[in-house]
Amino acid sequence: MLLFLVLEVLCIVFMTMTQNYHRQKRINTTNDLVGRIYETGNSIGDYFRLGKVNRELAEENAMLRRQLAATTDTTQSYLEVINADTIYEFIPARVVNNTVNRPNNYILINKGEADGIKKDMGVISSSGIVGIVSDVSQHYASVMSLLHSYTTISVRFKDSDQLANLRWETTNYRYGMVDDIPTHLKLQKGDTIVTSSYSYIFPENLMAGTVMELIPSPSGTLNKAKVRFATDFSSLKNVYVIHHTNKAEIDSLLQNQPKL
Amino acid sequence: MNRSLLNILRFVVLVVAQVLIVNHIRLGGFVHPYIYLIFVMLLPINLPGWQLLISGFGIGLVIDLFMGTLGMHAGATTMMAFCRPSIIKLVSGTQKFENIKEPNVNQLGFPWFVRYTICIVAVHNFTLFMFEGFSFHLVGQALLRILISVPVSVFLILLILYLFSSTTKKKEFS
Repeated sequence: MLLFLVLEVLCIVFMTMTQNYHRQKRINTTNDLVGRIYETGNSIGDYFRLGKVNRELAEENAMLRRQLAATTDTTQSYLEVINADTIYEFIPARVVNNTVNRPNNYILINKGEADGIKKDMGVISSSGIVGIVSDVSQHYASVMSLLHSYTTISVRFKDSDQLANLRWETTNYRYGMVDDIPTHLKLQKGDTIVTSSYSYIFPENLMAGTVMELIPSPSGTLNKAKVRFATDFSSLKNVYVIHHTNKAEIDSLLQNQPKL
Repeated sequence: MNRSLLNILRFVVLVVAQVLIVNHIRLGGFVHPYIYLIFVMLLPINLPGWQLLISGFGIGLVIDLFMGTLGMHAGATTMMAFCRPSIIKLVSGTQKFENIKEPNVNQLGFPWFVRYTICIVAVHNFTLFMFEGFSFHLVGQALLRILISVPVSVFLILLILYLFSSTTKKKEFS
């Protein structure tokens, strides 16, 4: 009986320890041994998904070529375009483990400190945003998925340039929620939502999702909208970790700001 | 085969199966089948209480490490191990266990096992989803998860037990 109580209390202590995102301990999923076991298990299943992965990469390739063609058509040379964007570097990684059916989901990827991954870097897939790196070990990193009750991402409605915050509604891995939409804003099903320029974790204009339906607020102040995520979290395989080369500079600037 | 060796093997096989196979089952995002409970279910009946608790805590903790939910599964399996003696008493009624070392389908019969599994899974799922629910303030959702997940877990566990113990003598897995 005493042992039972001791063990239960220990479990509750563990739980509260890992609840807090900022105090997350290394002992949480990001563990090289756990990562290696997942990776071995996945390598068996990978062969069955090769077709799909190939198709996705080919699609992404085609899209990039289209974009490149579009930029070279104008007076700019593509070198200029790339130079303007070099504050972001993309580190390719593979998803080793991923959940979508818990209230707080994490994704384990096979790149870690040794590959230049740091905490708070953004993670995207070829179709849209995925999450933010929350913990790093030598060769693996765990990513706080967009499907996490603490994740909010600053987004923009592409047509109207209205800013808002995107979060998960914690039940279905397909849909998220955008709060605080001014009532004058007319939204239509299928309107595109992209990342805003206010985030220094994600580059601007990355696909976040599309509007499914507008939910009018009962008090008539700020509406909500149900959003279909651009990323299919249930079949995530190849992702890119975004390294913002000037992030250290921004961080120090923000630190020097007088606290309000 | 040596009994403790058998249990260690069962531990490893069940953790690997749970983490690499069963965790990928997500029907609509609400179903969480847990088959690793078989390990605690099949521990010897006369095992001292403290060993039972430590075993339950141990497998829960290992599962937690894989799922990144430190404490939740450990808490639920510890609770389950704590309740196991009472559950066995409850489901067997007047039945005696004089020559039965560990619960098995052949000697105790299928109906007994169905009752046993339902109780064990219910205790585990209830504790687990309550932990999840309380920590995220989603108690209603937790209850829904329990209602959907218990039958699926029970079905999977019984299926596995049936598949591995229908052979004449119990072999490595269960």
